[in-house]
Amino acid sequence: MTGVMMQYYEVCERELWFLSRDVEIDRANPAVVRGTHVDESAYDEKRRNFSIDGTIALDVLDSGQVVEVKPSSSLVEPAKLQLLYYLWYLDRVVGVEKSGVLAHPTERQRETVELTDENATRVEDAIRGVHAVVTSDSPPPAEEKPFCESCAYYDFCWSC
Amino acid sequence: MDRNYHVFSDGRIERNDDTVRLVTEDGEKKYLPVENAEALFLHGQIDYNTRLVSFLNDHGVAMHVFGWNDYYAGSIVPKRGQTSGQTLVEQVRAYDDPERRRDLAAKFVAGSIHNMQTNVQYYDNRGHDFGPIRDRLDACRSALDDAESVEEAMGVEATARRAYYSTFDEILPEEFVFGGRKYNPPNNEVNSLISFGNSLVYANVVSAIRATALDPAISYLHEPGERRYSLALDIADLFKPLLTDRVVFRLVNRNQLTTDSFESELNSCLLTDAGRKTFSKAFEETLERTVEHPRLDRKVSYQYLLRMEAYKLKKHLLTGEEYVPFERWW
Repeated sequence: MTGVMMQYYEVCERELWFLSRDVEIDRANPAVVRGTHVDESAYDEKRRNFSIDGTIALDVLDSGQVVEVKPSSSLVEPAKLQLLYYLWYLDRVVGVEKSGVLAHPTERQRETVELTDENATRVEDAIRGVHAVVTSDSPPPAEEKPFCESCAYYDFCWSC
Repeated sequence: MDRNYHVFSDGRIERNDDTVRLVTEDGEKKYLPVENAEALFLHGQIDYNTRLVSFLNDHGVAMHVFGWNDYYAGSIVPKRGQTSGQTLVEQVRAYDDPERRRDLAAKFVAGSIHNMQTNVQYYDNRGHDFGPIRDRLDACRSALDDAESVEEAMGVEATARRAYYSTFDEILPEEFVFGGRKYNPPNNEVNSLISFGNSLVYANVVSAIRATALDPAISYLHEPGERRYSLALDIADLFKPLLTDRVVFRLVNRNQLTTDSFESELNSCLLTDAGRKTFSKAFEETLERTVEHPRLDRKVSYQYLLRMEAYKLKKHLLTGEEYVPFERWW
């Protein structure tokens, strides 16, 4: 289970199901281009990318904190869940305790995130939730959400 | 959506630094902007090398080759950016299930008939009396519900298209005698136009399918392997009335193409180079036309409708959600 799956689970379960089935995203989508650019250019010198067990890929700052970079704070909870999943994975699977930073460089905002008991429960519920979605034969039906139009699956989802 | 570039002259096409250059036989050089190209259509005798193919591959540009008699000869398409085993498995599953295959085949035919109806209705409102033809097409549409096999659906399609084509002799001026569909080779001007137009539709559908991870050889209405990209035949049928036929009517009725635009030899009749240019220009303009999409809430080009059709089919195959064929809604 990857970090992105966690994020999608919180944003849109249908999107998560598409991701799990290798439905190609529209890479020319402006939001995708922007996200990739912000991710590749932010904190470039101060962070290192780690791949763990071939499942999760996360970035760690010089300070030792795990960092998740997002272009905007509009979908803060999904990003937070993704980061919490990394912290949970490090703590419960790898056995390393870390704290995290949620960063929105374009808005010059940072927020510290800790793996509390409550947050750990939230991650574990989400893991079960992701599993249920990706093992289902069909995706949840399309549902109009405020951010649909910026989704890379928008045309795929709504062309009918 | 990016645009297509058609090359009619003979010569050589090559990579020149970071552009594509066409050098014609008389030494003239032209540059094709590769950044906003969807595909190159080669109609003349063109030399090219592997360096060009790699360069086009890097830019995701397809190359469609047309041979003698305007026959579609093949495509060199970019190596797939993404493949999806899951998509192929689902595609084959639907093919292998007689009920699902029949349903999909019937959907393609239903959409095609609807789009033929739209053209007939347009001319029925403009001084022609096509009431009887419209009735026959309606009857075909109903007969489709009883079609129990792919073969029967295919039969209904053939009947509908014959009825539809019978309107062409009335829509077009006297000197353009049609008298029914003939190809390999086309025997008159109208057949030659339809053949050329349909091969352009087909090549554009090949590009559209390539933008998804669908396998172009697994099809439902046509038999897989009937031609290499038989899925493109299934989808192209839906769009021929919108793209090919409307362009034929427009160019001929406005005298932009006359009988002088064709060359006849032995039993075949083909467009001249000038005629081909006129046709493909009008065809490209048609692809660039836009229409308000009711669900996406924005304007989409006719060319993008082809891409969306591939998306819709793929969505049906992966999710089981109903596939609704393209039916002109405006």
